[in-house]
Amino acid sequence: MPFPARLVLVTCAPVALGGIVALRTASAGPLAAVPAIVFGVVAATAPALYIASAAAGSAPPLGTMVRALGTALGAFGVALAGLVLPAAFLALTSIATTTTLVVTTGALAAAVGLALWRLHDELGRPQLAIFGTWALATCALGGRLWWEVVS
Amino acid sequence: MIAVMIEQLLRDRPGMTARIQSGGRGVIPVMLAVIAVSMIVVGAALGSYRGGVQIAYAAIKLPMVLIGTALLSAPALTAIGTALGRPSKLRTDFALVIAALAFGALLLVSCTPLILVGRALEVPYHRFILAVVAMFAIAGLASLRMIVRGSGQSWSGADSRPAGSTAAVGGLCVVFALVCGQLAWALRPYLVRPRAEVEFLRPVEGSLVDSIAQALDSARGIYRRERAPLPAEE
Repeated sequence: MPFPARLVLVTCAPVALGGIVALRTASAGPLAAVPAIVFGVVAATAPALYIASAAAGSAPPLGTMVRALGTALGAFGVALAGLVLPAAFLALTSIATTTTLVVTTGALAAAVGLALWRLHDELGRPQLAIFGTWALATCALGGRLWWEVVS
Repeated sequence: MIAVMIEQLLRDRPGMTARIQSGGRGVIPVMLAVIAVSMIVVGAALGSYRGGVQIAYAAIKLPMVLIGTALLSAPALTAIGTALGRPSKLRTDFALVIAALAFGALLLVSCTPLILVGRALEVPYHRFILAVVAMFAIAGLASLRMIVRGSGQSWSGADSRPAGSTAAVGGLCVVFALVCGQLAWALRPYLVRPRAEVEFLRPVEGSLVDSIAQALDSARGIYRRERAPLPAEE
């Protein structure tokens, strides 16, 4: 898939997911909050992965690291774009707000999981301790902010 | 050509999958027609339990369930595959999903005589429902099996399959089952109780998951209403 298409998807898919939450909560906040969380968390935590890997002597060149992060972010956008449609259907045909919460969280978690998997492959199997700790911290930070939005 | 494709779908599913992977010209329209005709037959048989206009209602709605499931699930298969590094193949994935659903629809058509026997013997409503659920579960599992095997073939060879492909197909199965279950739930009723009023769609009452949670509560003696309403009270 060409880079511009991935860029569009990684920008629009979180907005669409936020739109589902916004429809159920009657608040426009999630529309901007979800993409802000995605880009904000990646921007805040990505340098730490490079620094820790470099300090441990296992980091790929900076260019490779940036390309890998871009590919993983693109994979996140593509995966989320594919999951938004079924998530919207499941959330909007239910009257329970809990269903919306579970479905959107599930879609987001699946997209994040696929993106981490892709990043792991693109980095050429990095040190598990560093990558795993970074992934856990990133997911915890993103998850906390996501919970703030949906709760 | 239509008969050849249907026979290949029934007898040689790996061959059908290979045909889809190599372009599959004409597969999508034929499979859509198979789903539509098959589910009209199955829907009419289910609607005959209540009779009258319910035969037409169920015959209209059941094809919508399967075709809607394909439209909502196929992009997820493409997206998950692309995210893991497979080339993007939306048309091929849609053809695979629609062919798998057509296979399930044909299995359900083969169950139609059983549905009609149940109707003729006036099997009680709840037993009839359970039998129909079992038939749909078998057809659904057969469709999923075809998707799983077909998706396996779509990665460019067993040796080059990326590590996440199994998880991706598993994720697709979850999406497929949730969407199909919820779509079938949203478009119900297909079978109607003998004394109930016939309606094309029921009002939105919650999701399939909500209903299962409520049924589990009821089974534990936790009721959310005083009593079940009679038809005139709903």
